[in-house]
Amino acid sequence: MNATLQELSHSVITGDRTRALDLTRRAVAEGTSPKSVITDGLIAGMAVVGAAFRDGELYIPEVMVAARAMNECLAVLEPLLTDRIMPSHGKVVIATVKQDIHEIGKNLVAMMLKGNGFEVIDLGVDVAPDTIVEAVRDYEADVVALSALLTTTMPNMMEVVDALAAAGQRDHVKIMVGGAPLTQSFAREMGADGYAADAAQAVELASLLLHPSTPEGEASPRAEASREGHGRVAPDESTCR
Amino acid sequence: MTQTSRERVKRCLTFCVPDRVPREMWLVPWAQDRYPQEIAHIQRRYPSDFDDAPIVYRPSPRRRGDIFAPGTSTDEWGCRFTNIHGGVEGEVREPILPDVREWRDVRPPYEILPQHLSATRDLVNRHCARTNGYVRAQCLVNPWERYQALRGPQNAFMDIIDWDADRQALLDRIHDYFMAELEFWVSTEVDAVRLQDDWGSQKQLLVPPHHWRELFKPLYAEYCQLSHDRGKAVFFHSDGNILEIYGDFVEIGVDALNSQLFCMDLDELARLAKGRITFWGEIDRQHVLTAADPAAGREAVRQVVRHLYDTSGGTIAQFELGPGANPTVAEAIFEEWESVGRLELPTQGWIKDE
Repeated sequence: MNATLQELSHSVITGDRTRALDLTRRAVAEGTSPKSVITDGLIAGMAVVGAAFRDGELYIPEVMVAARAMNECLAVLEPLLTDRIMPSHGKVVIATVKQDIHEIGKNLVAMMLKGNGFEVIDLGVDVAPDTIVEAVRDYEADVVALSALLTTTMPNMMEVVDALAAAGQRDHVKIMVGGAPLTQSFAREMGADGYAADAAQAVELASLLLHPSTPEGEASPRAEASREGHGRVAPDESTCR
Repeated sequence: MTQTSRERVKRCLTFCVPDRVPREMWLVPWAQDRYPQEIAHIQRRYPSDFDDAPIVYRPSPRRRGDIFAPGTSTDEWGCRFTNIHGGVEGEVREPILPDVREWRDVRPPYEILPQHLSATRDLVNRHCARTNGYVRAQCLVNPWERYQALRGPQNAFMDIIDWDADRQALLDRIHDYFMAELEFWVSTEVDAVRLQDDWGSQKQLLVPPHHWRELFKPLYAEYCQLSHDRGKAVFFHSDGNILEIYGDFVEIGVDALNSQLFCMDLDELARLAKGRITFWGEIDRQHVLTAADPAAGREAVRQVVRHLYDTSGGTIAQFELGPGANPTVAEAIFEEWESVGRLELPTQGWIKDE
């Protein structure tokens, strides 16, 4: 990796948005393709941030400013992409379920997913099951990520699973859930494919669910525990996009 | 002769052997609306040792609506909240200070603080004299929550890293208000004041510890100093895993700390704080209070007793009935605390209830 991209990664890690923007422009001026700037500069930096957050070395504010730096650089790069397609590890529809308006946890997960190369369609808060089904269909989503912070709104997650099944979409999408009152056993009971205890785990889980044959997707005790929700140890590759 | 509730709590806080573990049950409107009879039964059987001072604030010209009801509401600072799920607090969706450079536009609600100080103080003091309960001030000093309400949670978190003179000025403005509010309460006969800010997520602190120590610890230290100088205890509530700063709360002199014990390592908590701070609950409201089986509540109490309890004091039997909570578990929790042990006076012997 060239020095500019290494510095860019570092700027993302430290959340230095001004420096990150300068380096993004410099990298492009030096002839580095926008896609390489994204994957080798920005996503590489956010991957370090994600791992450090998972390991308790970084905290939410640091993750947020890193994501902010990355998003500002992406805004510069996106118009320069020749095919207008951002590199993507998969499409994730994310929402806080109906009757729940807590969003900071969801927003953090969305940031981390985007920062790690996923295309994220954020439906916001208090989202009805039908809206989620529609989004899955319209965007051809690979993953649905559901958040709830209230014990009383957790059952609304099951409604989403049922709605996807009724619409014939259940087998085309992986469902992962998270939120303070949730547990592994609840995720299993409701028919989710996985449960993530925090934003860092959410990124790992999304990778595992979609790309089980990649190094990130190789089985680990945590990966196995996170994936058992749907009763399957590994998703069938034929269902992955 | 048994101790009064006030004596009991004081002895608990000072490790001077309360006759039993003091008790307190918190209720959110959701629980009160859903289980009025069950709650009344628990309260009759296990009365709280705590009492609240009368509300003596003046009406706010800015307050609109009810923060616990569906819809929108405005509080005394002018912050706007949205709620769709009645019975729990609403959320700030559109902060009133999106640009922190306009911090001078923030007007803390000094207009609601008591103005006829002597008469108001007398009102509070008469209440304190009439009750045997341990009386806490009707204040809720929460500088971090207030900062988030003004800036919006996402901006507030990023501000921790972007900290500059404007952000410091905003926090100073908030802090000055809370100091003025506390000045009134510590001039009365209440036994304690209350501070509250949520600093933990499920597994770690929400912000880097060194930022917390630099920006917020001095504020809490000042509140504790003011309160202790006037003979008042300090009760502090924080959600989440706050293990990284538990020792800091001990250091600045917080007397009782309400925290989510079950998010943290109880052995480590004991090492850091047992015998040095009172564990003001809680029994796990996320998974234990919502359990179907009261046995979960009993086992949770036994865990706390094993790790944190001492006969000299330092433990309050506290929990919150929030959304999804099961009143039968709540009753089992208090029953289990009752069986932990009682001190029989005047023989000064220790009698374990069978």
